[in-house]
Amino acid sequence: MDFSFDEDQRELRAVVADFLANHATSQQVRAAAEGDGFAAEQWGRLTGEMELTGLAVAPERGGAGASFVEVGIAIEEIGRTLLPVPYLSTVIAAAVLSHICSDDVAGPLLERIAGGAAAAVSLPGVLPSFPAIYGGKARKDGDGVVVDGEVAVVDGATAEILVLATRCGEEPVLVAVEAGASGVAVEPLATLDQTRRQAAVRLESAPATVLAAGEDAVARARDLLSVGRAVESVGAAARCLDETVAYLKERVQFGRPIGSFQALKHRCADLATELEAARSTAYYATWVVDGAPEELPVVAPLAEAVAGAALLHVAAEAIQMHGGIGFTWEHDAHMYLKRAKSNELLAGGYRGLRTLVGERARIL
Amino acid sequence: MDLRPTAADEAFRAEVRDWLGEHLRGEFAALGGAGGPGREHEGFETRLAWERELGEGGWIGLDLPPEHGGRGAGLDRQVIWAEEYARAEAPARVNHMGEHLLAPTISHFGTDAQRERFLPPILRGEELWCQGYSEPGAGSDLAAVRTRARLDGDTWRIDGQKVWTSLAMHADWCFAVVRSEPDSERHRGLSYLLVPMKQPGIEIRPIVQITGTSEFSEVFFEDATTDAANVVGEPGDGWKVAMGTLGFERGVATLAQQIGFGRELDAVIASARETGATRRPEIAARLVDAWIELRTMRYQALRSLSDGQPVSASMSKLLWGPWHRRLGELAIDVRGADATVIEAPYTLDGDQALFLYTRADTIYAGSDEIQRNIISERMLGLPRG
Repeated sequence: MDFSFDEDQRELRAVVADFLANHATSQQVRAAAEGDGFAAEQWGRLTGEMELTGLAVAPERGGAGASFVEVGIAIEEIGRTLLPVPYLSTVIAAAVLSHICSDDVAGPLLERIAGGAAAAVSLPGVLPSFPAIYGGKARKDGDGVVVDGEVAVVDGATAEILVLATRCGEEPVLVAVEAGASGVAVEPLATLDQTRRQAAVRLESAPATVLAAGEDAVARARDLLSVGRAVESVGAAARCLDETVAYLKERVQFGRPIGSFQALKHRCADLATELEAARSTAYYATWVVDGAPEELPVVAPLAEAVAGAALLHVAAEAIQMHGGIGFTWEHDAHMYLKRAKSNELLAGGYRGLRTLVGERARIL
Repeated sequence: MDLRPTAADEAFRAEVRDWLGEHLRGEFAALGGAGGPGREHEGFETRLAWERELGEGGWIGLDLPPEHGGRGAGLDRQVIWAEEYARAEAPARVNHMGEHLLAPTISHFGTDAQRERFLPPILRGEELWCQGYSEPGAGSDLAAVRTRARLDGDTWRIDGQKVWTSLAMHADWCFAVVRSEPDSERHRGLSYLLVPMKQPGIEIRPIVQITGTSEFSEVFFEDATTDAANVVGEPGDGWKVAMGTLGFERGVATLAQQIGFGRELDAVIASARETGATRRPEIAARLVDAWIELRTMRYQALRSLSDGQPVSASMSKLLWGPWHRRLGELAIDVRGADATVIEAPYTLDGDQALFLYTRADTIYAGSDEIQRNIISERMLGLPRG
């Protein structure tokens, strides 16, 4: 039994981290976030020379054939920086296509993703009472299927391929829609978290490909997204805590670094402990995707709830411990809080996820 | 990263299961996991006999190198043994201090003569040990130890007091940190002595805890003696040896402990179903949270075994101590007012004992506050106050 990363995986992390250190500085992230919300040049290199979107795509579809553990490493490193690129969305779309859909429909889409095409996913939140991102209706139209409706899609404005959960009659289905197809109108939305934009996607008899059908397929797709967001949260929380600890060592009040005050030290210790437990859980979840898929229904929402909450705590405490500077637009702390809260709201709330874990594991 | 067990590990697991299946019978099986923190008074004589049974089977000191009488088992094997042991609901061990703290210390820091004298009786389950670290004035601040030892010819003479000594009344020997250089301060001038417990110079007074039971004692040394050879490491070097001992207590025990935690949580959930408490949203949420956090602790323990960062021991303690305490609260909350009545004169049932005993979990073996100091200073590098 081995819970450590092998040499290739450590090398992958180093290469991604090295690229981001030079191309996803705070200044670069802010420039993209405050512009159109898309770091196009970095995205071109991450998907081009670095081939990161094809990591877990099968070699016969043009990918590197790695596991979701490798994908998780890249998600985590990009998550540290909040670089506005649709990496999480694209690799989750790829994971949905590889794990849930048959190769004859998914294969051609996977080839495009491995080649650098951006994708986005729109899946229902945990609570059925939050239908905002579970919209649209699919219907048969001649030999094919078309979709009508309006959905808010994370990273929708940059995606070529949209993977949507919708209903065909009463049956939940996963469909793929080409963003550039006739009957598809994509309107960028301003978002609380500027580093991760959404778009209103209006569909009028938009041609669609059915990828998979049934509630189970939609639930599994959601689980994959949960794992992705869990490991991303770990990356973001780690950076946020690092910055906070560094500030506590520098900032002097009452003639000493404020990091020497136990009131702050003990809270940092609690945050570090929560983060490391979340890290272990998220890493475990990335392994489960390929290594023990039967555990995914319980482990995925568990990991997202635990890691998402850790990010939320760290980001909130980061602002508090930075004091006034943490409340300014100029400081990065707010960007992490906005990502943290947006993730929670998009997931349907961590209490809801925990309830889902309870139901799936038949705890009570 | 591959979390599946290897075939060799599975074979070892089968060997452990078979042995436990064959030997954990009769009066041993009847104990059903008795003993352990909060229940050390239960079935002691039978548990001592069981310890000897384990010794005969070669199951004590698995981690020690073969030349010191062990099996040289790596972490994976130690975890398998501990997990299967917990799963079989075997009785709580009576010589945890001897096997897991003193034996690795002697193996690592001791002389050949000390290994020959002290390891075999531990491995046979014949000599029990207790730990003499804490004192009334040296709790979290261990370096404030004041118990004195002076060398008088071939004999150490010891005066002072230790406290919070688990199982002192049953122990044959004590490993103690004492001040052997008069007027020395803090970490300097301490020695790590091995002291026989059954002697006129030692008096043991049990401490009655908030549970009404006693597992801990005060130990008074008044001209107590031990042979000059019974010092581990150099005289004056006791701090280094004592810290080494603490370092041996990490990781492996956590995973086995979690199996016991899982069993306790199952019992609380069953009790909540019975009382209808699961229908209360607040209780249902707390039960689910307890289950989720126990899983999280498992992943954390698995990862720290692979990574082996020393600080992770503090994090692990900071996760499980408060978790267990919350479980104790849940155990009586699901029972409601019924849990306020006990058996006369002052005998607690399992839930009531869990509620009260788990107050100790966030205090002993380094309080939560000390763990937070360790994490913030040694891992995060924040300045000392």
